[in-house]
Amino acid sequence: MNRTLRFQIFRHHPLDPQSQPRLETYRLEESPGMTLFIALNLIRAEQAPDLNFDFVCRAGVCGSCAMLINGRPGLACRTLTASLPETITLLPLPNFELIADLSVNTGKWMRALSERLETWVHLNEEPDIDRLEAPMDADLAEQIYELDRCIECGCCLAACGTAQMRKDFVGAVGIHKIARFRADPRDCRDDAAYYEVIGDEDGVFGCMSLLGCQDFCPKNLSLQTQIAFIRRKLARQGWKKT
Amino acid sequence: MKLLYTDVLIIGGGLAGLRTAIGVKRRGLDPLILSLVPPKRSHSVAAQGGMQASLGNCAKSEGDNEDIHFADTVRGSDWGCDQLVARMFTHMAPKAVRELAAWGVPWSRVRAGVHEAVIHGERVRIQALEGAQGLITARDFGGTKKWRTCYTADGTGHAMLYTLGDRAVAESIPVHDRREALALIHEGERCQGAIVRNLMTGELSAYLARATVIATGGYGHLYAVSTNAIINEGLGQAIALETGVAQLGNLEAVQFHPTAIVPAGILVTEGCRGDGGVLRDVDGYRFMPDYEPEKAELASRDVVSRRMVEHMRKGKGVKGRFGEHLWLDITVLGRAHIEKHLREVKEICQYFLGIDPAVDYIPVRPTQHYSMGGIRTDYRGESPTLRGLFACGEAACWDLHGFNRLGGNSVAETVVSGMLVSEYVADFCTSPEGDIQLSSALAREFLQREQAKLSRLLAATGEENPVALRQQMEHIMMERVGLFRNGAELQTAVDELRILLQRAENLGLRSRQPAANPELVLAYRLPKMLKIALGVALGALARTESRGAHFREDYPERNDRDWLKRTLYRWPESGEPQLDYEPLDVKQMELPPGFRGYGTKNIVEHPDTKARQAEVAQAQQRAPDRFALQEQLMPFRHLLPERYRKPNERLHEPLP
Amino acid sequence: MKPLIASPWSARFDLLQSLSGLFLALFMWLHMAFVSSILWGEKAFWTVARFFEGYFFFGRSLPWLVSLFVACIAALIAVHALLALRKFPASWQQYRAFWEHRQRLAHLDTNLWPLQVATGFLMFFLASVHLYDLFIAPEQIGPYGSADLVWTGRTWPLLLLLLFCVEVHGLIGLYRLALKWGWPSFGDPQRTRRILRRLLWVLLVFFLAMGLLTLGTFISLGIEHAPRAGEPYVPSGMQEAL
Ligand SMILES: Cc1cc2nc3c(=O)[nH]c(=O)nc-3n(C[C@H](O)[C@H](O)[C@H](O)COP(=O)(O)OP(=O)(O)OC[C@H]3O[C@@H](n4cnc5c(N)ncnc54)[C@H](O)[C@@H]3O)c2cc1C
Ligand code: HEM
Ligand code: SF4
Ligand code: SF4
Ligand code: FES
Repeated sequence: MNRTLRFQIFRHHPLDPQSQPRLETYRLEESPGMTLFIALNLIRAEQAPDLNFDFVCRAGVCGSCAMLINGRPGLACRTLTASLPETITLLPLPNFELIADLSVNTGKWMRALSERLETWVHLNEEPDIDRLEAPMDADLAEQIYELDRCIECGCCLAACGTAQMRKDFVGAVGIHKIARFRADPRDCRDDAAYYEVIGDEDGVFGCMSLLGCQDFCPKNLSLQTQIAFIRRKLARQGWKKT
Repeated sequence: MKLLYTDVLIIGGGLAGLRTAIGVKRRGLDPLILSLVPPKRSHSVAAQGGMQASLGNCAKSEGDNEDIHFADTVRGSDWGCDQLVARMFTHMAPKAVRELAAWGVPWSRVRAGVHEAVIHGERVRIQALEGAQGLITARDFGGTKKWRTCYTADGTGHAMLYTLGDRAVAESIPVHDRREALALIHEGERCQGAIVRNLMTGELSAYLARATVIATGGYGHLYAVSTNAIINEGLGQAIALETGVAQLGNLEAVQFHPTAIVPAGILVTEGCRGDGGVLRDVDGYRFMPDYEPEKAELASRDVVSRRMVEHMRKGKGVKGRFGEHLWLDITVLGRAHIEKHLREVKEICQYFLGIDPAVDYIPVRPTQHYSMGGIRTDYRGESPTLRGLFACGEAACWDLHGFNRLGGNSVAETVVSGMLVSEYVADFCTSPEGDIQLSSALAREFLQREQAKLSRLLAATGEENPVALRQQMEHIMMERVGLFRNGAELQTAVDELRILLQRAENLGLRSRQPAANPELVLAYRLPKMLKIALGVALGALARTESRGAHFREDYPERNDRDWLKRTLYRWPESGEPQLDYEPLDVKQMELPPGFRGYGTKNIVEHPDTKARQAEVAQAQQRAPDRFALQEQLMPFRHLLPERYRKPNERLHEPLP
Repeated sequence: MKPLIASPWSARFDLLQSLSGLFLALFMWLHMAFVSSILWGEKAFWTVARFFEGYFFFGRSLPWLVSLFVACIAALIAVHALLALRKFPASWQQYRAFWEHRQRLAHLDTNLWPLQVATGFLMFFLASVHLYDLFIAPEQIGPYGSADLVWTGRTWPLLLLLLFCVEVHGLIGLYRLALKWGWPSFGDPQRTRRILRRLLWVLLVFFLAMGLLTLGTFISLGIEHAPRAGEPYVPSGMQEAL
């Protein structure tokens, strides 16, 4: 027997003066292999044509569809309804500007983060692309790729108590990005430069090690290890600096 | 009403759009990127397998060069591509990979010494080349003579897109995301920008630009099941078509990928087979070598996909809850390999199928994957009919891929075309033609037109439901314009799509929200999608031959005599859609038509083929080296921007 | 997001907070070792108390040494508390944001933090009283003096509460210190966390048990000694010497 799922979905359209934030209930027959992507699209097709949510890749790689699923952040597209109880509450991610309903502006936040932390390889000089590429150790390349896997979904921020309290906190995503560039020999910045961008209370020293990020990152990045690592390096940097 | 001015308006924030913007910016012009979603969420992020470039660093790619890459590409295209473009592309691909390497892409690298690989399901040992340690390595992909696909584990698209996205931030390129280009602003045959809707607020603005570049990706989601991101709905092609002036090329050339999971349609990369995975049928039997003795699972995608369906039609498919499928077996690769190099695949299997690919077979079936067709451009990326409109990436029919794209050639195309087109765009902008007075009156006129359309829709009370119409379109495309095609089905498809297009004029909306409103979005996109779908069906119906991914059961032969030509689709402002054709000149081809080496050999020859083959053979005997030969057969270097003309260095071809 | 001006003090404060916490926590372990010497008998405790008064170095008791030490600990606690104050929710909104987040997420590590804040906050008062008692009457410390203070002086409820606060706060603190700085680590982060958590529980039970036993012993001693409250303990064999 298929279950009848009861969805409680946050609805609000901030641009509409008549709109009030509220939870609305929708019922849906569960089918085998149903993901929240399928479920939400069915709800939209049949019951709520103006329900806003974001999916792009629907394969768990683009980071668009993070939301609070029964209170906990996760990628909706790859969450099977079978893994959830009959009542499913969906809320937009906190921390981000609400566009409407379940849709939030993570892109804007991430772009600001990128500008603030300068998350790009700072080049010493432009490469000569006609010539052989500079060699790199195979293990190092793998290690950098490992650090490059963040999909900017925002789950770590939604899972972070610090980020709830401090709107300017860079979150695990920010600290982890610094770890990614720090590991990359092509980026010519040194610890003093990294300290400039995250060596403060809104950066790595603001993190209180609550590890929501580690537990809810859909890519299972080793955030705990990387945050500790960056903290050690930058603490040393701060200690030295006179 | 808002008017914005910029030098170059780039519609699309995927790999192609980003690289174009960076190139334009570096030429001292102001680009501006529009995107439906934050750029890093573009479809490009999903590319797993890799990017082709003939670096020749790894043992199995020893001796590789542009010539071999070129030949593979032309064969892959079933001689449907523009060989000049293929030449420019293969020359540029190594430069593109190396540029990305310097900018931060963590390409997987060559390890010194001996290591294990799986080839044809068997473990072999491979000795790395002398001096190659630490250089960019490559994996095997379908339809290639050498291992040529550079990769970063199985997150190539992600690594590339993030590097370019970050680069764009570094170069302070403005990105307006969650914006949709609704229409191009043009005066006669000169494009001047676009009317843009803010998807969050619903506000319309006019973006006026000296040059406009469309890099909006493919049209996969005209099909119900596709490996594409769900935002790939052919919108860029549609706004070009709706000018009535620009032409779309080869829309019927739609690729089906052999291995998407059932039923979600999510792709598992060709890298699975490249790394040694095999296809099995209901009996667990590996059937591909029976059909394709030489390349087996690694023939080109169109061929493997058709062989799979052929095999299923023989009753060898696995019957599942969601229809028939076959098995992809990567258990032979071993857990360590899967967890390191195919982790995305593992995650997909785990989350969407609940299986472990290190012990279980993966249920797969051919699924819509890539749009070879798109906005027709010349080698410079510009529309030959609408000046000031450029296109690149999957959105364009630059015509690198002809009727079938090779795996790994697409992300390579996005970046290479971005590098090249940005130069040509900059040249255009700094030429007298680029220096125009942008007309705000014109912009206003277009803006009012689009505003009126939206207002009409928001008040619409017709009886048609946009969701239902869309589902019917997707269904028609799946059932009648799929992997195997025939005249009767295609005719039905054309008729049905025309009816849908009429019905789409009588929509009724349930929601009146002018700002963020998915129902409204679907309603105004629907006719656009239908027009592209119709183009695919019309082109496929007219093309009475089989070439590459376009396969007609009623015309199974490749007919070079009558069909060595490109379909051009245009929809004049008042009137009926038209098909025209643009011949490919055999006498100019560096690689004259022949047998691909895989698939069925069933060709009606072009009258010029023999003569050209003889010419080429003669030249081959006389030429002192490969460069001279190439130069003699089909000179292309002079067409490249000057900064990109130099040859590529390789381990075995050092530069002075 | 605001522009950043990196000050080395962010790093230093973070280090100081951790060091002060670490020192205090380790000191509290020693403290437990000292006070629980009562379990070995009155003589043992007396010896320990005299030891801190320098009796065995100078041949006589110098209680002001204890006062000095108490003052140092108090100062350290003050420094630690001031530094920790930076992490307290700074406004009602922040507090609410965190509380809602905590309820939604149902996540152990996140829940531990308010516990730490609350116990820290309580200790601010409890520890002050306790330290004040010791500071003004260091010579009282001894099997009977302390027992009288506990029972007749009615400080046992305070000490009971303080015991829970110190152990809970200190052990969570140490656990978070390990995660925060990434040391010690046992293989992969998940495993490290599992082991650290287990350690946290084991130590918590151990120290609470020790503390309760000790306090119980003082209470029973205090009840026994109540009629003679105020009389100091004099070990047998020392009577003449005094
Ligand atoms: C699952 C999968 C795996 C793949 N793997 C590989 C691989 O391994 N190797 C390979 O070579 N190729 C691969 N491909 C193909 C390749 O990924 C794509 O062809 C390529 O990334 C397309 O890039 P693009 O920049 O042209 O377009 P996209 O990345 O699709 O970007 C399109 C952009 O246009 C924007 N846009 C669209 N319409 C509008 C509009 N109306 N207004 C404003 N903005 C708009 C979108 O927001 C987006 O930013 C794969 C494809 C799929 C589906
Ligand atoms: C009056 C007193 C105290 C107050 C107000 C207080 C408050 C706090 C707070 C709020 C934190 C959390 C800081 C953060 O999240 O980063 C903390 C951390 C800590 N506290 Fe205390 N505390 C007090 C006394 C003590 C005592 C007596 C001990 C020893 C047992 C102690 C040991 C620790 C440790 C080890 C940490 C972890 C340090 C870190 O995270 O860097 N604290 N304290
Ligand atoms: S670190 Fe993890 S949770 Fe945070 S944005 Fe990146 S992928 Fe998402
Ligand atoms: S460890 Fe905790 S405080 Fe630090 S970033 Fe992660 S969730 Fe936030
Ligand atoms: S839609 Fe891309 S991660 Fe969910």
